[in-house]
Amino acid sequence: MTEAGYFDPVSVDEVVALLAADDEAKCVAGGASLVAMMNARLVEPSRLVSLRHVEELKKIETAEDGWLQIGALVRHCDVAIADELADGNQILSQAASLIANPVIRDMGTIGGSVGHFDPAADYPVALSALGAEIEIASEKGRRRIPVSNFFVDWYETALEPGDLITCIRVPPPPTGSTGIYEKLAKVKGDLGIAMVAVIMAMQGDAVSHLAVSVGGCGPKPIRLPEAEQALIGGSIDEAAIQDLVGKLSTASDPVDDVRASAAYRKLLIPRLVAQAIGQAKVNLRDGS
Amino acid sequence: MGETISLNLNGEVREAKAGLTTTLLEVIRDQLGLTGAKKGCNQGVCGACTVSIDGKLARACLSLAVNSVGREITTNEGLTEDGEPSALQQSFIDNGAVQCGFCTSGMIVSSHALLQDIPNPSIDEVRDGLSGNVCRCSGYRKIIDAVRGVARG
Repeated sequence: MTEAGYFDPVSVDEVVALLAADDEAKCVAGGASLVAMMNARLVEPSRLVSLRHVEELKKIETAEDGWLQIGALVRHCDVAIADELADGNQILSQAASLIANPVIRDMGTIGGSVGHFDPAADYPVALSALGAEIEIASEKGRRRIPVSNFFVDWYETALEPGDLITCIRVPPPPTGSTGIYEKLAKVKGDLGIAMVAVIMAMQGDAVSHLAVSVGGCGPKPIRLPEAEQALIGGSIDEAAIQDLVGKLSTASDPVDDVRASAAYRKLLIPRLVAQAIGQAKVNLRDGS
Repeated sequence: MGETISLNLNGEVREAKAGLTTTLLEVIRDQLGLTGAKKGCNQGVCGACTVSIDGKLARACLSLAVNSVGREITTNEGLTEDGEPSALQQSFIDNGAVQCGFCTSGMIVSSHALLQDIPNPSIDEVRDGLSGNVCRCSGYRKIIDAVRGVARG
């Protein structure tokens, strides 16, 4: 490549060596987030490392431990139709299919979205409910971070200088589970006012698995594992649902923005979550 | 500014100067004189700069010029047939689907891709396919008519 400061590596090792050599270097994948930030003059990288020829990052494959590994460069349009995401894990496809518009879904990548971490983005909410992990490469080697520790604060992740996201790891879905991803937006394609992801399984009348994540209502996705656990083994009646949605609303920390007020979001969370859990129950009952 | 790059644009090899942060949109409009694609939001939201890169729709404003080398880039200008408007472009004219015209190129490039996937789209399918293209004149009805008009032949 002719342009000074532009690099076009083909392997993860090359990428992390380039990142280690220069703190200012930025990776560019689909460009949907980074180039928009550059156009807004929010970032002005002196070096760009293009990931477009790094084949390892384009794969979707099942690892030896049974987890599904979605390469960082896999585009939203391909996550939306990935057959490998079954049962409750389909929430990741549902979330991908609701990101922005068809053109952005053709450009944007899962690694780019997760690394940018707009708190109103769709993937973090779904990945939080899935209990996914982020695999990261650097000159020191590879490591895996659960999403609960990866998403830290507004636009802040556990990524350190020199890090490259290599893949998103999704555990096998609970047996017989179903997944619901709901996003409330003013118009199709806008960022959500609030999003909710639910993964649920039942054995007979008793809940055997429940994960509920709320997005767009604070610096990072909200999950309350203890409140979820309290519902396991029960029949998930109206009282149990109301208890959980109340706690989620209390735990949220939304802000006022152009899409909605914080107070509106607080009111919205119980309704969105209750609706999603209700739909999950219907799906499980109908065997769909 | 920047160094010389060579782009495959509408079937021709074109040379341009590009710095690290120069977008494909800036190159095709400001240097290569193809002004169909417009700079609207410059954030990938409005769709006025939509082009096709390697057969897939893309925002020229979010595509770095240096990252576009070696790829087939098609703009609205490249969709003409022997210098004449294509059936789709003519349908936009015949249906009065152009008001101020700012969104038109992006609408046509997106519609062209839609019709390749779905030759006879329903109204809802056209709406979905063009959901990433904003018309601030709000002239959507005639745009939908234009796309479905050419589909019916």
